[in-house]
Amino acid sequence: MNLQDHLIKTRAFALKSWLITRKRPFHLFEILFWPLLGLISVGLLARFLDLEARLVQFVLVGVVALNIVQVSQIDMAYVVLYSIWNRSLKHEMAAPVNVLQLVVGSWATGILHAFVVFVFLNVFSAMAFRVHLLQAGFFPLGVLFVGLVLFGCAVGTAVCAMAFHLGGRAHVGATFLVSILTVLSGIYYPIDVLPQPVQLLSLLIPLTYFLEYIRGCYGFPVTCSNPLLWGFLLTLGYNLLSFFLLSLSIRAARQKGTLLELSE
Amino acid sequence: MNAISLRGIHKTYPAHHGKTAVHALKGVDLEVESGVIYCVLGPNGAGKTTLIAILTTLLYPDGGGGTIFGLDLLRERGRIREIVNVTSGTPNFTDVFTVRENLNYYGMLYGLPKVPRNERIGSLIETFELKPYEHVLFSRLSSGLRQRLALAKAMLNDPKVLFLDEPTVGLDPKISETVRRTLKKISREKGLTLILTTHQMREAEFLSDRIAFLREGRIVAEGNPDDLKRGIRYGEKIRIRYDGPILFLEELSGLEGILETEGDDRLVTVTVDDHAKRLDPIIRRLNSDPRRVIRNIDIVTPDLEDVFLELAGSSH
Repeated sequence: MNLQDHLIKTRAFALKSWLITRKRPFHLFEILFWPLLGLISVGLLARFLDLEARLVQFVLVGVVALNIVQVSQIDMAYVVLYSIWNRSLKHEMAAPVNVLQLVVGSWATGILHAFVVFVFLNVFSAMAFRVHLLQAGFFPLGVLFVGLVLFGCAVGTAVCAMAFHLGGRAHVGATFLVSILTVLSGIYYPIDVLPQPVQLLSLLIPLTYFLEYIRGCYGFPVTCSNPLLWGFLLTLGYNLLSFFLLSLSIRAARQKGTLLELSE
Repeated sequence: MNAISLRGIHKTYPAHHGKTAVHALKGVDLEVESGVIYCVLGPNGAGKTTLIAILTTLLYPDGGGGTIFGLDLLRERGRIREIVNVTSGTPNFTDVFTVRENLNYYGMLYGLPKVPRNERIGSLIETFELKPYEHVLFSRLSSGLRQRLALAKAMLNDPKVLFLDEPTVGLDPKISETVRRTLKKISREKGLTLILTTHQMREAEFLSDRIAFLREGRIVAEGNPDDLKRGIRYGEKIRIRYDGPILFLEELSGLEGILETEGDDRLVTVTVDDHAKRLDPIIRRLNSDPRRVIRNIDIVTPDLEDVFLELAGSSH
């Protein structure tokens, strides 16, 4: 297979995701409205609790980070979920495409959407709550963004793996994964407020380290010696694991006949 | 080179969600020559869709193996996907995409670069008369148009083998006829090997060069439609009406190829294995008495429906 062939097939998945966003207002709603709503409600809660500005920054950067992971994974999941809902999965899987093309293509649109949301939430938090996330500097925010979308890729790939196993119900799996992240990775609070055994679970989540890093840039104490290194290492590990799971899941779907069932 | 060669294909769907395990294919052997239209006939649940799914690599077999144009079914699945394509009777594509967007998307999945892809899409839109619907969403297409889109999609990668699973199911008779003619035309013009499943005898008879009957996961008969019709015990019936002295049925005994004889007044019905070979000796035997005059001869050949009923019924 030559590079051009590989790129065309990868772009096919990106195009699909892009067209779905363009044509389904509900999808656009999901990637813009919910993140905005989340930011507004938390921002207003912070105002009601009369939190000092740096604590508001602490919380809002968590909300933004969680949304970036959510938005970048949702495009990936939808590429597979739409095929299941449209019962067209078998036609796509009968084509000579591979898992890498599916993952990278759908993730590419996820990155684009995530970037738009990232900029939008940054601007909105500055205007509505006078919280300037950019205060950390372009480079740290850029690194944070890269880390978050890479982690989003791992989450999205895992959801796709679930979709080949569970069908449309994998949508619930996506919500479950993001809910777990919300509780465990210190979105609204430092992880040391969690019970000790649960903190160990938090340390297994890359998002915990990315938040630690960016909050360090805002002057909050950093408890881990090299949060970026840990964050990226774990992200790499989860990406490899979820990629393996997706390959396994597609293979199992072809073995058990689930692929046909999902297309009926 | 054979287009398809299968040996001992087995497939069992494991038990799940309260359903029991189903042994869908029980050692299927198949040889399909390149360029033919090959039909897999069988009742519901015979294993037709499973067989097609295995050949298109959508489903992995539990046992056996084979090749498609020399590519190993178990080890070269990626390359097989490049040279085959598939469509089914109830095609589904992305509902929010238009006809052209769907074709463009699938063209990209098959790795076609932009310029040849657009040319190909344009030509397929012409071939399948989809031009007026080019920018219509899939969700708004009628079942006939969806089927035409499915066929256009199936031709995108210029496949060597095209699999059609019940291609005309749910279509009205006029559209079904158009689809059949289009398939036959494409197959002949491009030398495409076409494998279709159906339970419509007329469709199989019209389209197929060869037919395999699948029953309970096994191929129980295989051949060209004429051979299959001759092969069943129904045979072909020769009905002769005559004037003159009664022909005693015993007079026909001893003639080769006679399966059954019936007489009623001056109408004799003889069931033979092959009317082309047996008609002449029967007429000569009738004419052995010069007072007899033949008034009318009818030849009734069995259709595939008879073959189907015979083969489907022989298990019960």
